[in-house]
Amino acid sequence: MSDITGDFVAKMARIWHRFALPADDATPLAGMLAPMDDAGERVSESMRFDREPSGFDRALEELAPPADER
Amino acid sequence: MSGDLATLDLCTLAGRIRDRAISAEEVTSAAIARAEALQPTLNAFIRLEAETALEQARTVDERLAKGEDVGPLAGVPLAHKDMFYREGLPTSCGSKIRANFVADRTATALARLAQAGAIDLGGLNMSEFAVGPIGNNVHYGDCHNPWNPDHAPGGSSSGSGASVAARIVYGALGSDTGGSIRIPSAMSGVVGFKPTQNRVSRYGLMPLSFSFDTSGPLTRTVRDTARILDTIAGHDPKDPTSSRRPGPGCEAACDRPPARLRLGVPTSYFYDDLDPAVGAALEAAQKIFEGAGVPLRPVPVPSHDEINLIWAAALAAEAATIHRKWLRERPCDYGPMVRRRIEFGLYQPATRYLEALSLREKFLREYCATTFADCDVLLTPTMPVTAPRLDEVDVSDGKGMTDLVLKVSRNTRPISYLGLPALSVPCGFNEAGLPIALQLIGRPFSESQLCRLGHAYQQATDWHTRVPAVVVG
Repeated sequence: MSDITGDFVAKMARIWHRFALPADDATPLAGMLAPMDDAGERVSESMRFDREPSGFDRALEELAPPADER
Repeated sequence: MSGDLATLDLCTLAGRIRDRAISAEEVTSAAIARAEALQPTLNAFIRLEAETALEQARTVDERLAKGEDVGPLAGVPLAHKDMFYREGLPTSCGSKIRANFVADRTATALARLAQAGAIDLGGLNMSEFAVGPIGNNVHYGDCHNPWNPDHAPGGSSSGSGASVAARIVYGALGSDTGGSIRIPSAMSGVVGFKPTQNRVSRYGLMPLSFSFDTSGPLTRTVRDTARILDTIAGHDPKDPTSSRRPGPGCEAACDRPPARLRLGVPTSYFYDDLDPAVGAALEAAQKIFEGAGVPLRPVPVPSHDEINLIWAAALAAEAATIHRKWLRERPCDYGPMVRRRIEFGLYQPATRYLEALSLREKFLREYCATTFADCDVLLTPTMPVTAPRLDEVDVSDGKGMTDLVLKVSRNTRPISYLGLPALSVPCGFNEAGLPIALQLIGRPFSESQLCRLGHAYQQATDWHTRVPAVVVG
């Protein structure tokens, strides 16, 4: 489970982005971030040493069906 | 006469203008009159460029009189989501922050439409910065659904769906990052096409997420959509990410029989928790396809839960990068819902973001190897529900709003992460008269197959010929 809290988000806003985040905003943002963090952790198990974003563009081209001949 | 003109589809109208049965100026004047008459009811336009449009129409008529080749869209009034740049003209992106932004370039998609002779009536209403599937806008006022103005038109390409459904224009461009063409198409009862990632140039399109943004047409018929997509697709040196493949050949594909394509019906996820009317409409649609000789088969789909979450994380990281300066300096100039949905991208670790993008290839390959193993195209509902009432929309972004956003975009988001083409086609109405739509999802760059099936469906049904009361009342 993620430990992302409103305080943690507010601290990131202050340190990384140089602005003060109201508590009313920080708590819901933490609520949005936590499930994404959990999902990210789960899918990261399938990362491979040589994966990179450009593999997606190559896959799009390779997986296209042959010209519409059916 | 204006009413007769309004109910023609784009391809029929283009033929009549080309044959000089009617003039482009007459058609454009009528479209402007409809736009002005319906603006108080629908609020579909952010900016109507009437004089410029009439000048374009007169030029088309002059060229036709000289016997020149004027292009496949000559004289056809279109309008576009107000995030496609037109050099020297304002482009608000539905926002207060960019209210006075004047573009220094013209979007390639608009330039190609102009080259094909289309008339541009101006910028259409949209969700602020293209964030949000409902179609509400706190800065320019909500756009309204032509089938019932108390209901949302769908977003983020809200004005695109509403203006086409209300027979103001014959087609419109929208953008789609997680459903923003398909959802307004479904809610407003028109055809909408999200092409394969990289199929259409993004040059001159306001960015939300450079990994997931696509643009495409909303029209009344699949053939109309095919003509526009054929016009705007193809490599653009100004957008190096655009594919070098030849054009999709969608309009020609409409005339080919669909029977040899295999249609897959997912056994999970897409058909979960449907409104009963949506379920019944999709069941009827399956029978229509079977009647057309298209074999249907059940197909497995993987869990989309993780895909949806990592898509949202990556999208927000890119949007927050684009918006970071304004989030710091002008936070109060965003609507609260939009600010929060962009802002959470500031707090994603860079490694999470890059993992989400790096894993796209793996998820896409697995999807094609399993879900598309025994079928060419998937048939799903575009949305599990119909358009919500606008007064149910919580602009402060409470939990109810989050749940609503997730529900209406449930069947569109994963397809954006996978970069696949998807065509939304009207397939019925609920008991309250609100539209229902089916979604055809194909393998990468299979737009022509989707058009074959979508056009065949429209040949066997008449949902696309029905006109909202606001047009004739």
